Amino acid sequence: MAISRRVFLKGSLTGAATLSAFGFDIAPIAAQARTLKISRTSETRSTCPYCSVSCGVIIHTLGDKAKNAVPQVVHVEGDPDHPINRGTLCPKGASLEQDILNDRRLLKPQVRRPGSTRWDDIGWDQAIDEIGRWVKKTRDATFVEKDARGRTVNRCEGIAWTGGCTDTNEFNYLVVKTMRSLGVCYLENQARV
Amino acid sequence: MAVNFQAGPDQGSWQRRIDRAAQLAAEDEATRPLLVFYGQLLGLQRDTYDTLRKAPLSGSLERDLDVVRPCASAILSAVRTTGPALLADEIQEIVAGGDSAIDQLLLEWWRTLAANQFFGKVVLQPYAQRLAELSRRPLDRELYTNEFRCPFCAGPPQLSMLQRGGELEGGGRALLCATCFTSWPFRRVRCVSCGEEDEHRLAYFHSRALDHLRVDACDVCRRYVKTIDLTRLGVAVPLVDEVAGAALDVWARERGYEKLELNLVGL
Repeated sequence: MAISRRVFLKGSLTGAATLSAFGFDIAPIAAQARTLKISRTSETRSTCPYCSVSCGVIIHTLGDKAKNAVPQVVHVEGDPDHPINRGTLCPKGASLEQDILNDRRLLKPQVRRPGSTRWDDIGWDQAIDEIGRWVKKTRDATFVEKDARGRTVNRCEGIAWTGGCTDTNEFNYLVVKTMRSLGVCYLENQARV
Repeated sequence: MAVNFQAGPDQGSWQRRIDRAAQLAAEDEATRPLLVFYGQLLGLQRDTYDTLRKAPLSGSLERDLDVVRPCASAILSAVRTTGPALLADEIQEIVAGGDSAIDQLLLEWWRTLAANQFFGKVVLQPYAQRLAELSRRPLDRELYTNEFRCPFCAGPPQLSMLQRGGELEGGGRALLCATCFTSWPFRRVRCVSCGEEDEHRLAYFHSRALDHLRVDACDVCRRYVKTIDLTRLGVAVPLVDEVAGAALDVWARERGYEKLELNLVGL
């Protein structure tokens, strides 16, 4: 028997067809499709920043790639394909979305004065001035130019720096440069991942 | 790397699929005709499967045709009365050609697994599933397989699933074979068709109205596959819920994406 072209039913459904490749009326489904509010997300593989285990995560970002739309993170989950965590996350890692989106994020500097029990808002200019003044005063008071055996060490023992686990590489680079130029030795930036 | 795959009907029995089709048909008017028809097909496939279970299968369709052909005839005659006019016309042509036409049609599909052919797929899915359960590899066709093809029968995937299981937390991704229903693991952020891994070129389209379904599309090859998220709806039956999400197929096609593998209602 000669198999006809139609026997094989080469489906060629394109564009706004009203029949499926096998002949079903899809007009009602097309009408339903027009009522759907469809969102476009992307999945980005990344690494949890919190500790040296370096679990794999997948970050879901909402956005239709339009130039005037700001992509927004909507979900973070463990990466099931990652050999370290196989989809699992610790409670801290599972809350990563809140590291990105958080109503309680501080948006301006605060200070707790000596003896005070509360944090007060201060302006950026005032904060920078005060930090500069205290750094200068502390460094001048505690700077060690030579050690007990007379060797030049040029270190500042009155200041320590500790960084946070979500600090970026670039930020940590600046921290190291700044602290080393001040002579600070007690330096920790948590860059372990 | 050894591929860890699960052969056979891991996504529920035939009866579970039939029940799910009936349930979803009752819930949604727009997709009801499709789901009612698909439910009938599932019933016919279950009968075929029951017949094949009692028969010794060799794995060579040519040798097994004597068992498969009567089942094919039963399906053809049922679809002629309940299916759309296009399928009924085709059946008329096939039946006119006699047994040899049916044999040729089945063998042709079995050797090529062409994505857009109806009859070969509807008849041979139960046959392939039974072979998978028996771990009897198909003998009479090329079995070139890679991570994009079924590790058992080298067929293309019908859909993708996100599911918990084994040592995995969260939504591990697996593909479900369109031919024998074997599932195998597949990476999350990767195109099922061309293997693209750039997340900026992979898109996931989702609607809250069909919360456990999404379209996984690739902007490189412009192909897509639907994903059934079993971590959101554990009672879903992937093969059936994929059909019920027909609106997403229409939506994706209107935007120029082509489906990797048509389902049995031609979407």
